[in-house]
Amino acid sequence: MNDLMLLTRIANRPAVFRASDIASIIEIDAITPVPQAPDFVAGLTALRSRALTVIDSRMALGLAQPGPADPRSPVVEIGGHPYALLVDTVEDVVAMVGAPTPLAATLGPQWSRCAHGMIETAAGPAIVIDVSALISGPQRAAA
Amino acid sequence: MDDLLADFVAETREMLQAIEGEIVAWEADPADRERLDAIFRFVHTVKGNCGFFDFPRLEKLSHAAESALSEVRAGQRRASGQLVSAVLAIIDRINDMIDAIDGGETIPDGADEILIAALEPKGDEPDSESIQAEELSGGRAPRQASGSRSIRLPVELLDRVMSGVSDMVLARNELARRLREHGTDPALEGPFDRLSSILDTVREGATRMRMQRLEHLFGALPRMVRDLSAELGKQVMIDLDGGDVELDREMIESVRDPLTHILRNAIDHGIEPPSERLSAGKREIGTITVSARRTGNRIVIAVSDDGRGIEPGRLRKKAVAAGLIDSAQAAALSEEQTLELIFAAGFSTADRVSQVSGRGVGMDVVRANIERIGGSVTVSSKAGQGTIVFLYVPLTLSIVEGLTVTVGAHTLGLPRSYIVEIARSASRAISVDRLGDGIFLTFRNERVPCLDLGEVLGLDQGVDLDRATFVFIRLVSGDLFAVAVDRVLDNEDLVLKPLPPVLEGIGLFGGTALLDDGRPILKLDIPALADRYGLASQARARPSVQGAADIHAEDPGEHVVVFEAFGSRRLAIRMPAIRHIHTLPASAIDRSGPTPLVSVDGMILPILGFILDDEDATSTRDSVIALRLSDGGSDILYAARSIIDTAELTGPVVPAEDDPLLEGTVLIDDTIVGAIDTHRLFARYGRMGASTHRPTCRLARTDAWAKGFLEPLIRSAGYDILDEDDPRTADVAVVLDQAEPAATTGDVVRLRSYPDAAGTAPDSIYRYDRDALLSALARAHSKGG
Repeated sequence: MNDLMLLTRIANRPAVFRASDIASIIEIDAITPVPQAPDFVAGLTALRSRALTVIDSRMALGLAQPGPADPRSPVVEIGGHPYALLVDTVEDVVAMVGAPTPLAATLGPQWSRCAHGMIETAAGPAIVIDVSALISGPQRAAA
Repeated sequence: MDDLLADFVAETREMLQAIEGEIVAWEADPADRERLDAIFRFVHTVKGNCGFFDFPRLEKLSHAAESALSEVRAGQRRASGQLVSAVLAIIDRINDMIDAIDGGETIPDGADEILIAALEPKGDEPDSESIQAEELSGGRAPRQASGSRSIRLPVELLDRVMSGVSDMVLARNELARRLREHGTDPALEGPFDRLSSILDTVREGATRMRMQRLEHLFGALPRMVRDLSAELGKQVMIDLDGGDVELDREMIESVRDPLTHILRNAIDHGIEPPSERLSAGKREIGTITVSARRTGNRIVIAVSDDGRGIEPGRLRKKAVAAGLIDSAQAAALSEEQTLELIFAAGFSTADRVSQVSGRGVGMDVVRANIERIGGSVTVSSKAGQGTIVFLYVPLTLSIVEGLTVTVGAHTLGLPRSYIVEIARSASRAISVDRLGDGIFLTFRNERVPCLDLGEVLGLDQGVDLDRATFVFIRLVSGDLFAVAVDRVLDNEDLVLKPLPPVLEGIGLFGGTALLDDGRPILKLDIPALADRYGLASQARARPSVQGAADIHAEDPGEHVVVFEAFGSRRLAIRMPAIRHIHTLPASAIDRSGPTPLVSVDGMILPILGFILDDEDATSTRDSVIALRLSDGGSDILYAARSIIDTAELTGPVVPAEDDPLLEGTVLIDDTIVGAIDTHRLFARYGRMGASTHRPTCRLARTDAWAKGFLEPLIRSAGYDILDEDDPRTADVAVVLDQAEPAATTGDVVRLRSYPDAAGTAPDSIYRYDRDALLSALARAHSKGG
């Protein structure tokens, strides 16, 4: 794995995205809400000629009341569709220190579902986010 | 995978696609050397390419096919059906292997030896002598090699260019808005317009890059028809037409399955077995024709067969037996409505289930698939003679004409193709009733279910029905319903992008698009909406007998166009009488006669509505708006200063005394408007606009220019042409330059060859001044007729 990570905070916890997953980072100015959409879908926004689906990462992890989000938003592309992710803050691009370690059992089901593992970074330990699990939203009660 | 290998896979695939049709055609005519060569080249190329890579099995297979085919080419062997089948089997296997290579899988182990052995000649094959005899019987003309050059490009690159162009269009729109805001600077305007028009051209080109000729789809059909008819013991020939029609790449993929299904149906149920055909007096071999053509924004693909057709009586019986309709309903169905029954879910016309079709997954799925991409399907059939299925599909998946509407804070796009009418609730013609949880509109004697879009979207507040605008939507099944929205914004071309799964799951939307200002919006998925609220389900099984009756019961005089006539009077003309609204150059109007005349589309028509002493009428204007009215037989124009609106006639028409051409006056939007009595208008002027009396024009047809250029124009203006030496009297004579008309009777229209009159012939008309020429003819016409 090569080894640059985007360090963010999601629900006030350190979380990193693999730089290779991130297509770009955009500044979101307006979000068009989508009626009847699940609550972790914040709506649509535009990146040049494309409409992006905005996913609130905090709600996708099953956290009910997120605070304000960083206007800067990482853009990922999954299955040919672009998504912009809302996080608390976008902090930095950091290098990974050492190899990823398996998940600790105490992360809780929603975080475990959305994580590839844990790593050490220059800024401390963080969870590596599994983007496609994240955008599929919180798992229902059965999980 | 390494680039070289990727190229090999892509090239082989492309060749495979290209020769599928060839091989079946070759079987039909084994003497066709060109096709044999094409197939030979394919296996030869595959074999050659295998040399670069390590695919021993692929090499062995293609080598075997190559040897067998080269024997045929050398005249040592004849192409029998058995050989063709064996070659086809090898090509299929090559195809499988290419798929495996592409997928990075190991090539499935199979009995290649059996395939190769099948190529060996059998004892009953005709010997070489008969081939030689046939070869002597004549060669065929070599087919035209395709002249256009092409290269292969990765799809991803095309998509990138497409989205780049879309970005440019958005940036251009943004720039246009800024320029408008800052006031127009002529120094910028010129270059900007130029940039803008170049961009439009580029956009069109980029859109065309996504287009593919239908040949790609058609190429696979002969093979399919061959295999299927052989399996069913039938003889079927396929005829393809319109392969050069271009369609969006994605659209071609969406049409593939429905088309395949229809062909299977045609072969299985439509075409009779050979013996049955012979006894019905038909050719033993059935014919299926697949033709495509483009009409405006749509492509029509027609699949017709000359089989047994669909017998309406039998269809009705089956529908009753299946419980779709009761016998009383069945008896009330027209023939057309009966045919619609084949689209009912779970309905099959097959007597028994065969391996190929008749399993109940049928035309309903075809229709659903075609409707999903914004198209429609119709069928027509004559018992005993055959069936035609028409597929209508839009040119591209990605751009639809849309209407933007707002509900609460949301802006949504509705596809235009479904919308039949838009009405405001303020209009007295609509009454709104709430029954249970539903809303019903009464509109032109029809009760129409209505959805509050605010409720549908789950907004806190529904649409205020007293101020709402209702968008009337007619589904392909014929059902009518309305959606209530807050406001209708605009017509826009929506460039649709597919929805991500999480939004598709909502089941209400059909794609995202960006508005001109860059805001994203969602397109409402109309069929899904109708489905969810049960607005279409019944009609699927029960064709809309009721609906059809209602349409005929409508009062056709309800809608009018309101316009400001010359003399500043407001007038209204009933919509059904209006055929078109023209903008005509004022110079084309000839006002010398008692009734002004004008040439439109090559016809000379009376134009009414000028107040003759109104200076404004023609002298100070470059162009005049003219409403073209038609009673089916003749056309009349009515001049307008401006078109105001369309409106509904809600109140009574009060008879008026002062103008014989007015039916009376009526109140529209609190203004008194005169309603034109079209009946009297046509009674009085209709004959002038009729094309029954054809005036005659004398013309020297010995002159090449007169014959080639002038004659068609004069004919299209409604004249019959008389030769110089024709003894009959002509209404008008047209002569060139100094020539003298042979036997002058009516007017003489003199044409000159040079634009500048320069004293030589002051009354003449320059021979390319079309308007002046037509006006002169119109003048002559008004005197004569």
